[in-house]
Amino acid sequence: MTAEVLVRCGGVARTFGAGPGAVVAVRGVSCEILAHQLVAVTGPSGSGKSTLLHLFAGLDEPTAGHVSWPGIGTRTELRPGPVAVVLQGPSLIAPLDVVENVALPLVLGGASQHEADAVARGALARLGLEALAAKLPEELSGGQAQRVAVARALAGRPRLILADEPTGQLDHVNGAIVVDALLEAARHLDAALVVTTHDVLVADRLPERWRMLDGRLDTRDTRRCSA
Amino acid sequence: MLGLTWLRGLAARRRGRLLATAAGIAVAVGVLASIGSFLSASKATMTRRSIADVSVDWQVEAQPGFDPTVVLDRVRRAAGVRAALPVGFATTTGFEASAGGTIQTTGPGVVIGLPDGYRAAFPAVFRDLTGARAGVLVAQQTAANLHAAPGDTVTIGRAGMAPVLVRVDGVVDVPQADSFFQNVGAPVGAQPPAPPDNVLVMPADQWHAQFDPLGAQRPDLVHTQVHARLGHQLASDPSAAYAAVSGRARNLEVRLAGAGLVGDNLAATLGAARSDALYAQMLFLFLGLPGAVLAGMLTATVAGVGAERRRREQSLLRARGATTTQLVRLGVLEAAVVGLVGAAAGLRLARLVGRLAFGTGAFGATTGAAIGWASGAAVAGLAIAAATVAVPAWRDAREITVVAGRRSVGRATRRPRWARLGLDVWLLLASGVVFWLTGRGGYKLVLAPEGVPTISVSYWAFAGPALLWSGAALLAWRLADLVLGRGRGLIRRSVRPLAGNLCGTVAASMSRQRRLLARALVLVTLTASFALSTAVFNSTYRQQADVDARLTNGADVTVIESPGARVGPAGAARLAKVAGVEHVEPIQHRFAYVGADLQDLYGVRPASIVAATKLQDAYFVGGTARKLISTLSARPDSILVSAETVHDFQLRPGDRLMLRLQDARTKQLRDVVFHYAGVAKEFPTAPRDSFLVANADYVARTTGSDDVGSFLVDTGGASPQAVAGRIRAVVGAEAKVIDIRTSRRIIGSSLTSVDLAGLTKVELGFALVLAAAATGLVLALGLTERRRMFVIAGALGARSRQLGAFIWAEAAFVALGGLLTGAIAGWALAVMLVKVLAGVFDPPPSTLAVPWPYLGSFVAVALVAVVVAAYGTLTAIRRPAIALVRDL
Repeated sequence: MTAEVLVRCGGVARTFGAGPGAVVAVRGVSCEILAHQLVAVTGPSGSGKSTLLHLFAGLDEPTAGHVSWPGIGTRTELRPGPVAVVLQGPSLIAPLDVVENVALPLVLGGASQHEADAVARGALARLGLEALAAKLPEELSGGQAQRVAVARALAGRPRLILADEPTGQLDHVNGAIVVDALLEAARHLDAALVVTTHDVLVADRLPERWRMLDGRLDTRDTRRCSA
Repeated sequence: MLGLTWLRGLAARRRGRLLATAAGIAVAVGVLASIGSFLSASKATMTRRSIADVSVDWQVEAQPGFDPTVVLDRVRRAAGVRAALPVGFATTTGFEASAGGTIQTTGPGVVIGLPDGYRAAFPAVFRDLTGARAGVLVAQQTAANLHAAPGDTVTIGRAGMAPVLVRVDGVVDVPQADSFFQNVGAPVGAQPPAPPDNVLVMPADQWHAQFDPLGAQRPDLVHTQVHARLGHQLASDPSAAYAAVSGRARNLEVRLAGAGLVGDNLAATLGAARSDALYAQMLFLFLGLPGAVLAGMLTATVAGVGAERRRREQSLLRARGATTTQLVRLGVLEAAVVGLVGAAAGLRLARLVGRLAFGTGAFGATTGAAIGWASGAAVAGLAIAAATVAVPAWRDAREITVVAGRRSVGRATRRPRWARLGLDVWLLLASGVVFWLTGRGGYKLVLAPEGVPTISVSYWAFAGPALLWSGAALLAWRLADLVLGRGRGLIRRSVRPLAGNLCGTVAASMSRQRRLLARALVLVTLTASFALSTAVFNSTYRQQADVDARLTNGADVTVIESPGARVGPAGAARLAKVAGVEHVEPIQHRFAYVGADLQDLYGVRPASIVAATKLQDAYFVGGTARKLISTLSARPDSILVSAETVHDFQLRPGDRLMLRLQDARTKQLRDVVFHYAGVAKEFPTAPRDSFLVANADYVARTTGSDDVGSFLVDTGGASPQAVAGRIRAVVGAEAKVIDIRTSRRIIGSSLTSVDLAGLTKVELGFALVLAAAATGLVLALGLTERRRMFVIAGALGARSRQLGAFIWAEAAFVALGGLLTGAIAGWALAVMLVKVLAGVFDPPPSTLAVPWPYLGSFVAVALVAVVVAAYGTLTAIRRPAIALVRDL
């Protein structure tokens, strides 16, 4: 049976600015993300990984080519819902506590606060974070905050989780815990997972690796390993 | 070098914050310089106008036994004297004249001997009414009493000597008769109650010929004064001018060594103006300073937005080896730049405001005042820059735990120390106590005893409003903190229509940001209370100034018939035909003896007087204006009297009151019975002391004359000055025509005549700017501080409507909460200001005047600023999310 295509890119390019000073972040990328696919997008800083992830998430629009989400819907239907994004830096909302942060995508999607809180607590429990439920973001460590961000992605029951350098500001131990959480979330939801990283140790945890260099994506450089 | 690099970097990358901070300082400097220049200019105007009204600056009375020429010589040699001339005063036994076959006689009078050149040297002493300007002139009242006109012969009685016959050349008025006929050297209470009714003026030569012999026999009936005109190049401040003038007068008295006493009319006038000047100064303190304080607070808020970024930059510099001193220097440098730019912009703003509001761009009446106010305002601007930019930078540079800085979002576990101590409640209580103390009987904000060079000001009274303002601000903070902290359920329910299922999240977000929101709400509260109290105060002041002018003038235009003129109520018909005249109300004016006391009696038409003259209930005691006047109709022999008369004669309603009035037929006084019906405190055209109000028909019936003293003309909105001009063309010199605006300028206090219109424009204009800043700018900055939150929510999939729920809920809480608490605090402040500054109101207001159009504009400006800020923030976060996600 052929796996369902969640995201399809055809000749996608993204250029910032115009004229001689224009920066081409992504050039001529064609790829597909399939359901249940677990992939790491690696490459040096400035290679266009984050831009590509933002295009996958519908946060940005290509300046050439097209992005579609055949197995999900239109761009406006991605978030909150079938696509969850874990951002690079601290991405929890400061005045909301951990439960409220995790429940937010559900509330934004139309769930009642009561239902959303219940689901959020379940997501936190799955990642072993229930003790943090009443804490505020400022009271969390960097690793805890990033795991809560993963729990927030998990709570929305997405079909595609996109994590942009989720361990970029963490040490190796905490980074590993966050990757564990992402993989656990993807496995639990049977969702596809795309993680951008320049950390080989993180990339090694995912079964498939794509390489990004100077805005071009090389999907042939795959290497199978156990997750 | 590091400083220049730093400044270049700030100018390139932090331009918005620098400009916003400088703008805040500019507003503070603008407020201070504008109001300061108004104060300086108005003081100068008070001095100029008050001395312009003085017809004779000094009246030096030669003492018995001393040679008047010696006095004249010494006066002429006194400092500042420009002209000095001797004037003779002789008391007569009376005047007599025959007209139309009857002989008219008067009681004792005064004959004045004027030297050549007197009319030129003192042009305002006499006003020519008819006939020649020189020769024998008769005062208007005397001419009326004698039925004398130019060409008639008048006999002057001399005690113990043969009478003298003179031919009348003209009729004059003595506008400032009270001071002209003063008892020089006598204290205020010992002055004659009224100037003499019978006055005749003649050339000095003629006077000496007739009265030197009398002086030889009866020196008590003849005396000489030296009238002096001084140079009017005085200090612009009435107090300083008063001190200078009265000092010169005392110096002259010393030099006269008992030969003469100085009647210092100039100092007496300046003495009255100096208390008005101090009231103007008080107005600056009460109404101007809060504006500058507000602008300073807004500047601090704007500067505070960049505090976190500055701390990060300081940390980076410190990591690269910068010392604390270097970091502090950079802070001081930044403060100096924004302070200087803000001060320069503020002074330009004040110049512009001055041109628009006062018609002058100068900061004061004199160069010294201009330099003083401009530099004072600029120094205040630099101080604000230092307090809001340099001091926080210095504090941050010295703190070890830089990151720990102030945290405005999060778990607010402990209230600030002032809140735990209940400082807000204490401040409000203290304000109430001060208000009560100052509101008790006998309180006077400005005390300027006549003849005493120093005047005292009860600056303590300033504490009441200041404490109220501070206490209200802290209480608003406490209430906002309480509602957002403990009233999350209430907030959730309130925002549900706006936020739907997101209401719990919005309420939680607002609750945890309550310190930020409370701070913004306090600024709105302070601005709204400042605007409301200032607007209500100014409006009430304007209302009372109009009441004062209306009381004095009686109506839009008042036509006062010459004494002795025989004009009945039918004369109103002629005036009613003049273009612009809507209604004419005749008022009788008589004199009546109440016991031994001679009082003014006004005969009114009860059917039309209330509506025609806009009589206010506050003018009467014992009933409304309508009720008491209707009593005059129901029972024509009713009479309204002064409270003093009620007290003196122990009157009770219905008591019989016997007055003596002149019968027009017999010219003799006759008894007329009235019945006491109520107390009149004020009445149009009536004097401020005792007077009587009765039914005109009854007065006419009992005295045999329906002669009208004056006609009150309602112009129904047409220009009183224009209508007065047209009426003058109709009545000619027969009657005196005064319009309300001229009356307000001439007879109002110096403060009234200066008019607060300019000050009002400035204050209310700045209040609108502050309203926009306090609501829009502060909200926008607060939202900008939390842009990260909205960007993250957007990345999670929040729709514009959902992001809007957060923004509009906060905006509504800050704006509506701030306006509500500001309205309450502002009203209390207005009540307190009107009470504390009661001295500037004449008469005291019975109710406050609320300028609804202005307050509506204020609310509109505040709400528009909020909408613009909220909409702008929404637009900014609707940009392609990626750009903002990258900014994080």
